[in-house]
Amino acid sequence: MVNLKHIFKKILGKGGTDEGRPFSYLFQVFQQILTLNNKILDKIAEANEKLGGEYVFDIRFIEQFVESISKDVQQLIFSMNEMVPGRYEGLFEAYKAIELDIQAIMAGQYIGAKTHVLHFDDVEKGDEDSIGPKNASLCLLKKELSLNIPEGFAITFYAYKDFLSQNGLEEKIHEIMNEWEKGRYSTKEASRMIQSEILSSPIPSNLKHSISDALAILRKKIGKHSLLAVRSSAWGEDSEHSFAGLYDSVVGVNDNGIYDAYKKVIASTFHSKVMEYRRQIGFKEDEILMAVGCEQLIEPEVSGIIYTLNPNEPSCENMIINSTWGLGGILVSGKTTGDMFFINRESREIVGLEIAWKEKKKVIKRDGSFEYVEVEDNRKEIPSLSKEQIKRLAKTAVTIERFFKKPQDIEFAIDKSGEIIILQSRPLKIREKIKTSQLDITHLDKRYQILIKNSGHTAQEGVGIGPVYICAGDHVLDDFPTGAIAVAKYASPRLARIVPRASGIITEIGSVAGHLATICREYGLPAVFNVKNAIEILEDQGQITLDATEKTVYKGKVKELFYYTLSQEPIEESYEYRLLRRILRKIEPLNLVDPNSPKFRPETCKTFHDITRFVHEKAVEAIIDLHYEGIDHSQSISARMKWDIPLDLVVIDIGGGLDEESLKVGVARPEDVLSIPMQGLMQGLRCPGAWDNDPMSVDVSSFMSSLTRTFSAEHADPKMVGQNLAVLSKHYVNLSLRLGYHFTMVDSYVSQNVIENYIYFRFFGGVTDLKRRSRRAKLISDILSFYDFRVETRGDLVVARLKRFGQEDTLRRLYLVGILIGFTRQLDVLMVSDEHVSQFAKKIIELMEGENGQREDKNFDS
Amino acid sequence: MDKEKIKILILDDEPIVTKRLKPALEKKGYEVETFTQSSSALKRIQEERFDIVITDLKMEGLSGMEFLEKVKEKWPQTEVIVITGFATMETAKESFKKGVFDFLAKPFKLGEIIDIVAKAVDHLKGKEASK
Repeated sequence: MVNLKHIFKKILGKGGTDEGRPFSYLFQVFQQILTLNNKILDKIAEANEKLGGEYVFDIRFIEQFVESISKDVQQLIFSMNEMVPGRYEGLFEAYKAIELDIQAIMAGQYIGAKTHVLHFDDVEKGDEDSIGPKNASLCLLKKELSLNIPEGFAITFYAYKDFLSQNGLEEKIHEIMNEWEKGRYSTKEASRMIQSEILSSPIPSNLKHSISDALAILRKKIGKHSLLAVRSSAWGEDSEHSFAGLYDSVVGVNDNGIYDAYKKVIASTFHSKVMEYRRQIGFKEDEILMAVGCEQLIEPEVSGIIYTLNPNEPSCENMIINSTWGLGGILVSGKTTGDMFFINRESREIVGLEIAWKEKKKVIKRDGSFEYVEVEDNRKEIPSLSKEQIKRLAKTAVTIERFFKKPQDIEFAIDKSGEIIILQSRPLKIREKIKTSQLDITHLDKRYQILIKNSGHTAQEGVGIGPVYICAGDHVLDDFPTGAIAVAKYASPRLARIVPRASGIITEIGSVAGHLATICREYGLPAVFNVKNAIEILEDQGQITLDATEKTVYKGKVKELFYYTLSQEPIEESYEYRLLRRILRKIEPLNLVDPNSPKFRPETCKTFHDITRFVHEKAVEAIIDLHYEGIDHSQSISARMKWDIPLDLVVIDIGGGLDEESLKVGVARPEDVLSIPMQGLMQGLRCPGAWDNDPMSVDVSSFMSSLTRTFSAEHADPKMVGQNLAVLSKHYVNLSLRLGYHFTMVDSYVSQNVIENYIYFRFFGGVTDLKRRSRRAKLISDILSFYDFRVETRGDLVVARLKRFGQEDTLRRLYLVGILIGFTRQLDVLMVSDEHVSQFAKKIIELMEGENGQREDKNFDS
Repeated sequence: MDKEKIKILILDDEPIVTKRLKPALEKKGYEVETFTQSSSALKRIQEERFDIVITDLKMEGLSGMEFLEKVKEKWPQTEVIVITGFATMETAKESFKKGVFDFLAKPFKLGEIIDIVAKAVDHLKGKEASK
């Protein structure tokens, strides 16, 4: 095998370490960075936990959280600067930008994407801050539930602000509003003045370009001829405030008309009725923001509205579908009542229907104008929906209700090919309609059989009703039925993908500060972890009711709890919850995953988590630099491992990681390693069998493929190439390996203190073509997810994270990582087919379980 | 003493706190009244006896400490539970001297306050029985 050590000339990079500063001091700074790193991640997890509904917190908590985490991150950057002075100055800028955003959010200002348009297909959770909740929730139906929605794009709040400021309208509006507040203008006068200012201002050319570019992309999807609809999506236009119907929509627009339509919709932000309403509910001026959705106008065969629960008689357990031929606007106009179908929510049987005489239907003409035309004679008195369509609609409606966790008011259309297209979905106002007699939740234990009582920890509060689905054994997650309650052994991150479709989650083991808990809170899915014997108790129970708030499970459907939940004001809509959620978006997400990506720079850190990750990586790098550029000769900090496996490893001890004697002689035996996580890794590395598959002789084409690959950041540094290194302390290890052509990094902290424990694992590279490398990446990611890691893969890069497991469980997983490192180093050469992936996975799991098998759900269901 | 008749008054100047506690305690069968201003809570206390009072310490106007003194003065039997931000926990501990039943640092879990209330109810029952 070619040793790259000889290929690359050894060039000494410029280290940032000052001469004269002893190692011991720099190690201390490094330890400080590790401690801060843990502290920050811990605070993030704790803040997220507060969103589960179990905690009572107020604004002071949020203020304290922001203040303290911000201080820690600042300290982290200072410490980094202490290690390598001046090398990452961009971190200060990144920090400042995030901090400013957070302060703005605290002050109630909007912080959305700084872009004019956002295509519907690119919308993600959290984008309601950029495009309004109405646009955002529609897009999520496609993204998360694969439902059809019109193709389109949103013009953002940022665009609205840009429009106002480039036209100098902000001051003008402010003045008029001021005069109105003082009573010098009537609402009607103020409204008319502001609207005419908006309508008479030109759309700035950069905004116009953004819109026309977006339009061009949209046209590629929907063709030249479709007309468009331009709809409002205002800030705060959610369930809490009822702005419904107060803003304008412009329907039947062509490309040229879109600009005027845009102005018309944003001008409607200042309709007199809306101004009055905003004043009444105490909206601030900087909360007045309007985004719009530009969508393909569907020309429907049938359209209508679904109430997923009859708001007039919630106790009847029926949903209502109201439909008619052509466009749905006719239902609202009162020209026809349309057909009414009453469907049982559970059986989805039609339990009642009222078929209307449908004399006319509303259609749209080519020029965008509307027309009421006579319905064909043979269709006037027949139902506008077939039985099959009703069933499909009912199923879709239930899926949407489950996703949003409350009854919905859904607008739909059915096009000429029979496809259902969802036009809008919003929460149904139902709270006031529920009779107190339905809410008697005392003595439920006398009316229902209790299967589990007050057991486990709540990850997310709420009530979920559905059939039990055991996520272990033969049941694969792909078959997870919508609306079921998932019952699993571990709160594994791999369950995250069923969250949008589930009614609840119960696990026997898991942390409420872990990744799955975070996802459950993001979706408001009732979830309880650490429930003893849940699988055994619930296995054959069929329909159950999970009351996550009380950590109790009932047999059957407890209707009282369902209605009780509906009658309560949803806590996640309260101001404090929304505020914390928005703040966490600036803190929690990790965008810097791939250290080889050109984006792995201080300037691209978008969240505190990004900064923390970046600093951690670079701090380890700095320690490794010290080893190479060692200036402090008074002290020996490293030793070479002497062991029974074909792995040449130099270990750097930053405190308590190695027996001191071994540092003096420069050689360390396995028993000299005192670092707890390194001991765990070593056990796996030295596991009999892990190194058995001798490095395969590489065929010529594979080898050529490896030579033509560009070696990027992680291994571009010549001094790193060919050298395997570990940085150790008593509770910490950072291991970076280059084995064959694979690059592996393990970073782990293990102590008795559960909340500090983590493993970060990264793997990429390989000799062969991308396909085989990807297969191997899949193998590694499958196994790690199976053992509860949170895994992300990009091509042949695998990044896996595990947090907050007990010392034993964390060590066991380090053992696994050790096995993986030995076992997979040459696997891509062997991985000629997809079947190989599962074969190898089985082999590795056998190795794991053979040693100290405890895992019950041994079926590998990746 | 029947649980159904236990009356609780909650005083906290953060509406979110009273908004959360009221339904949670009502769900457990208690009768709950909430206040965000100490002056109006004080007025209510003068009119009627509550079995349990839950109050924050740090508030505008009359402080929680003064409020609980007034409560204890008027109704010595009433159990007072103090809920307060972490920063003022030391002060909270002092309030023990003033006969406070228990205290809880914010943020807390609903389950925790429910447990403390249940203990306070037991305590009240004990006192009643020993009369």
